[in-house]
Amino acid sequence: MLARRTLARIPAQQVVSGAAPQNARNMATLRELELRLKSVRNIEKITKSMKMIASTRLAKAQRALQSGKQYGIANAELFANTTPEEVGKRKLFVVLSSDKGLCGGIHSSVSKATRAAVKEADPESPVMIVGDKSKAQLSRSIPQNIALTFNQIGRDIPTFADAAAVADLIFKSGAKYDSIVIMYNKFVSALSFEASSIEVQTETSLREAPGFQAYEMEDDVVKDLSEFALANALYAALVEGHAAETNARRNAMDSASKNASDMIGRLQMQFNRGRQASITNELVDIITGASAL
Amino acid sequence: MSALRLLSSAARRTPKSIPLGRRGYAEVADKIKLSLVLPHQAIFTSADVTQVNIAAATGDMGILANHVPSIEPLRPGIVEVIESGNASKKWFVSGGFATVHPNNKLTINAVEAAPLEAFSAEAIRTNLAEAQRITAGNGTEEQKAEARIELEFYEALQHAVATK
Repeated sequence: MLARRTLARIPAQQVVSGAAPQNARNMATLRELELRLKSVRNIEKITKSMKMIASTRLAKAQRALQSGKQYGIANAELFANTTPEEVGKRKLFVVLSSDKGLCGGIHSSVSKATRAAVKEADPESPVMIVGDKSKAQLSRSIPQNIALTFNQIGRDIPTFADAAAVADLIFKSGAKYDSIVIMYNKFVSALSFEASSIEVQTETSLREAPGFQAYEMEDDVVKDLSEFALANALYAALVEGHAAETNARRNAMDSASKNASDMIGRLQMQFNRGRQASITNELVDIITGASAL
Repeated sequence: MSALRLLSSAARRTPKSIPLGRRGYAEVADKIKLSLVLPHQAIFTSADVTQVNIAAATGDMGILANHVPSIEPLRPGIVEVIESGNASKKWFVSGGFATVHPNNKLTINAVEAAPLEAFSAEAIRTNLAEAQRITAGNGTEEQKAEARIELEFYEALQHAVATK
């Protein structure tokens, strides 16, 4: 008896709960849609302003890139003339990225290239990382190779002082290597970048290189020269990497803004249809109610 | 007679008045490719110039076309570039390296450089005094070493600006 009554009651409850929540569901959906619309509009504002900031920073970064690139080219002239004979020596990898995200595939591009290069050269090669983002990625794949990490570099246009400080710490670290490979992102065009590397010789490998004997110099110059050359190469790579990152950030924020405005359009349509449907339903209720009287 | 003697003695004296590096002979046809670059500015990028006078650590030197390849560290001093004819431009360089390559190229990587007109004698005096104070004071060895380098730099700069 009790059971049948409870059984009979349940379907009734379901029918009852069918009518009111219909409107209630629409209202809940409408409320949800409204909230989503508001949050996507806010996101669009944020990504648009980030794109503006990145565009203005990009102009400055590209000017610095022009001179930095020439600086790096002049520096590399010596290494072009003094390529060492034997390859396959111990290499130290220096990875240049930055601490901030929202820049497309910048950090993963340089991390992937480093992983591949380390695997090819010597899986035990020491790796030094500039920038927290790449540090996070590489400490998941090759944590045992990481020798030194730097952060707080790349917030603004890199200066020679930054590059000199990094070079100084690399030399003081006492890692063992014959040449240094700097991994960074090369600024290819306004739409793309690619991971690239610069190789810098150390004092010992410079002395042994055949082309080096052609140069006249005092004996104690080689050490200073190798340190200065490393700082120069680091500076050129840092500046180019910064420009590539600012550009990628601008493109990423641009496509995010476009997606956000697409979403706003779709959500607005849905919201309007939902609002009109609930008004129509209310009218239908009133009219059938009125006609039933 | 005396007029002739006067003339010959005047002729002997004139070479001293010709500034360092300027030849009194016919124009040099060969040029050397100069790249004088700073981190934030490229002053010359593979430009053909006649002669470059640099302040190397081992002494002042003039570099002409087809100079023997060499690597010279620069001390704080003047780099003078003579492009063609007698027109020359001077910059005061804080330091860096000058490398003559086998292919008749000269690359100078300097950390900072500016034309002599850009410096104010007042500022040099103040900074020189400051550096002297720290050298003589009782800071750490590192601070004193930095101040000594600054002192060397400001003294050279003061001398260069004064004898413009």
